[in-house]
Amino acid sequence: MSALTLLGFGAGGWGAALLAAAATTLALALCGFAAGAVLGAAAAAAKLSGAAPLRALADVYTTVLRGVPDLLVIYLLYFGGSTALGTVAGWFGATGFVGLPAFGVGVAALGIISGAYQAEVFRGATLALDRGQLEAARAVGMHRGLMLRRVVAPLVARTALPGLGNVWQILLKDSALVSVTGLVELLRQAQVGAGSTRQPFTFYLAAGALYLAITSLSTWGFSRAETRARRGLP
Amino acid sequence: MLAPSPTRPEAVAVRDLHKHFGALEVLRGISLSAREGEVVAILGSSGSGKSTLLRCINLLEVPEAGEVVVGDEAILWRARSRGRVPADAAQVDRIRSRVGMVFQSFNLWSHRTVLENVIEAPVHVQRRPRAACVAEAEALLAKVGIADKRDHYPAHLSGGQQQRAAIARALAMHPRVLLFDEPTSALDPERVAEVLRVMRALAEEGRTMLVVTHEMAFARDVAHRVVFLHEGRIEEDGPPDAVFGAPRSERFRQFLARGG
Amino acid sequence: MIDLDFLAATVRALLAGVPVTLGLTAGSVACGGALAALAAFGRLAGGPVPDGLARLYVFVFRGTPLLVQIFLIYYGLGQFRPSLQAMGLWGFFREPYWCALLALSLNTGAYTAEILRGGILAVPHGALVAGRACGMPRLLLFRRVMLPLAARQALPAYGNEVISVVKATSLASTITLLEITGIAQKLIAQSFRALEVFLCAGAFYLAVTFVVIGLVRAAEAWLAPDLRPRPAVAPRAA
Repeated sequence: MSALTLLGFGAGGWGAALLAAAATTLALALCGFAAGAVLGAAAAAAKLSGAAPLRALADVYTTVLRGVPDLLVIYLLYFGGSTALGTVAGWFGATGFVGLPAFGVGVAALGIISGAYQAEVFRGATLALDRGQLEAARAVGMHRGLMLRRVVAPLVARTALPGLGNVWQILLKDSALVSVTGLVELLRQAQVGAGSTRQPFTFYLAAGALYLAITSLSTWGFSRAETRARRGLP
Repeated sequence: MLAPSPTRPEAVAVRDLHKHFGALEVLRGISLSAREGEVVAILGSSGSGKSTLLRCINLLEVPEAGEVVVGDEAILWRARSRGRVPADAAQVDRIRSRVGMVFQSFNLWSHRTVLENVIEAPVHVQRRPRAACVAEAEALLAKVGIADKRDHYPAHLSGGQQQRAAIARALAMHPRVLLFDEPTSALDPERVAEVLRVMRALAEEGRTMLVVTHEMAFARDVAHRVVFLHEGRIEEDGPPDAVFGAPRSERFRQFLARGG
Repeated sequence: MIDLDFLAATVRALLAGVPVTLGLTAGSVACGGALAALAAFGRLAGGPVPDGLARLYVFVFRGTPLLVQIFLIYYGLGQFRPSLQAMGLWGFFREPYWCALLALSLNTGAYTAEILRGGILAVPHGALVAGRACGMPRLLLFRRVMLPLAARQALPAYGNEVISVVKATSLASTITLLEITGIAQKLIAQSFRALEVFLCAGAFYLAVTFVVIGLVRAAEAWLAPDLRPRPAVAPRAA
């Protein structure tokens, strides 16, 4: 079969499967990014204003997660999570290996990894806030929540956008590592195709092209968002 | 300018205000009030405590002792193991929304246009209907002379235009008192006049204003009262003619001799 | 609770992977650096064709996951085994170590090229004009003015890139190489003690990371003497 039929959408074509897997990759990355935003914001808040133990905890989190291979973190969560769950299941009389939902493990891993990077982005953006603009908000009688929502959040988001764009690109490419857990995302689907057709180059090239398309689209999207967010900057 | 009648009620008052930063005592018992419609110019060399005094009135700084009264409402305090804090955060927000503040460095919100800056607090703090706020904001921008800049972002305006936008933002809250913290000190000399012109117009409307400034001409011609602060105490307090004509304080004489 | 014997055995087992991790790191940082210099030169001084090629290289290798690149080289090129054998290249592409090294070099080369380019573009124009004004020939200007200024500009980003290469070598474990992560994965699968093994393996990586950070700091101090704290001058007796 020619490469085109192989990757096409006809009978015996893998096109639909690859596209579906690309959608899984995108969903995985989006959920991981959202989880990372929550973790990152919490860690940044801890670093900036928390009590000393919270600050130390956040520092350890970001230092370790940025210094240790992402693959190792995925192994820890996948095997460690299963073992922990197996232990709990053992208390209730269940035996044997308990598998975790691979998508959930992937989201958790990507969230924990990207959270460490997002924490630094949020911290930097918060430190770059102009104190005078916050004071002006207090001076017109805004309470804390309103000030956070109407002044702090939009200003921080604007400064953080380029950094968040970088984290998103790293995360998209990191999501390929989740294939080691067996989750059928883009790379895993390409592996399956490569295995059953013995045309690995064709399939990995196709997967690479799809990743390239997703990262290029993301670049375009983020640069548009940055242009929008830069309104009002000198 | 003609001073308002002494029978008019006090719009704002502080009594025996004390404030220190660490070991540094910045305010050492300040008592000052302004009647409705009164314009008070506050003079003093840098470090005399004049900016801190303004910032204590809308509680951007918390004075350790003394009273702050805006209109007929005195700030309520609660004792803490170290010093005190305002007892009621809602009261602080309410009082702040009655006191308009104009900063030396403008402090316009950089992510909002001029018009959005002006309607932000009326819509979100005072919860007034947006359409009415926009109409009023446009009138205010016309009044300070930057109606054509309504959709510009602050970074694209000159300093003088930014400061006039900041004045419009303060006015949009319908404040009972306007506080000006060195409003022309960050401006190029040629931009100072346009801001002073707006402030003079506000004074002529009968607004209550406390103005920390280095502009002697403004203090002499526009203010009803001039107060001179030195090392956290009031050294002079009186009508400009009296204070400038026959200063009692030696330090004020030195201050004037140095050109303010 | 803490099983010291198990930890000691784990550390001993992981130690065997350290040379592989460090070898892959050093090799790909060196080869990637050469590639990056070539690509940066192509982008800055090479005319439209080298510029286009360098752009394409950077775009493709920064836009796709490293794992895809590794699989493409190690598994994918197997599809062309007969032709590679005919060219005498099969001996290279058969070996997972060389494939990992090639993929890592190509990958880090693309990132480093952009870092280098950024550093060179950040050299203030005035410094070059001043050099030319006092009669420096091109090469001398490049060596004495451009390179030191570009290097100190690019150094922090380059340090981060080296750290990410250290981490990226872990991907070699997916093509059967037993570097630190590969060994760790085996140990976890055998013992089901994921946390202990993770902590030991993580400690190795953090140690390498801290060494890299230290080296970058030292290089920074060496390249940017004007940013060092002022030496305290003892007050002279009047």
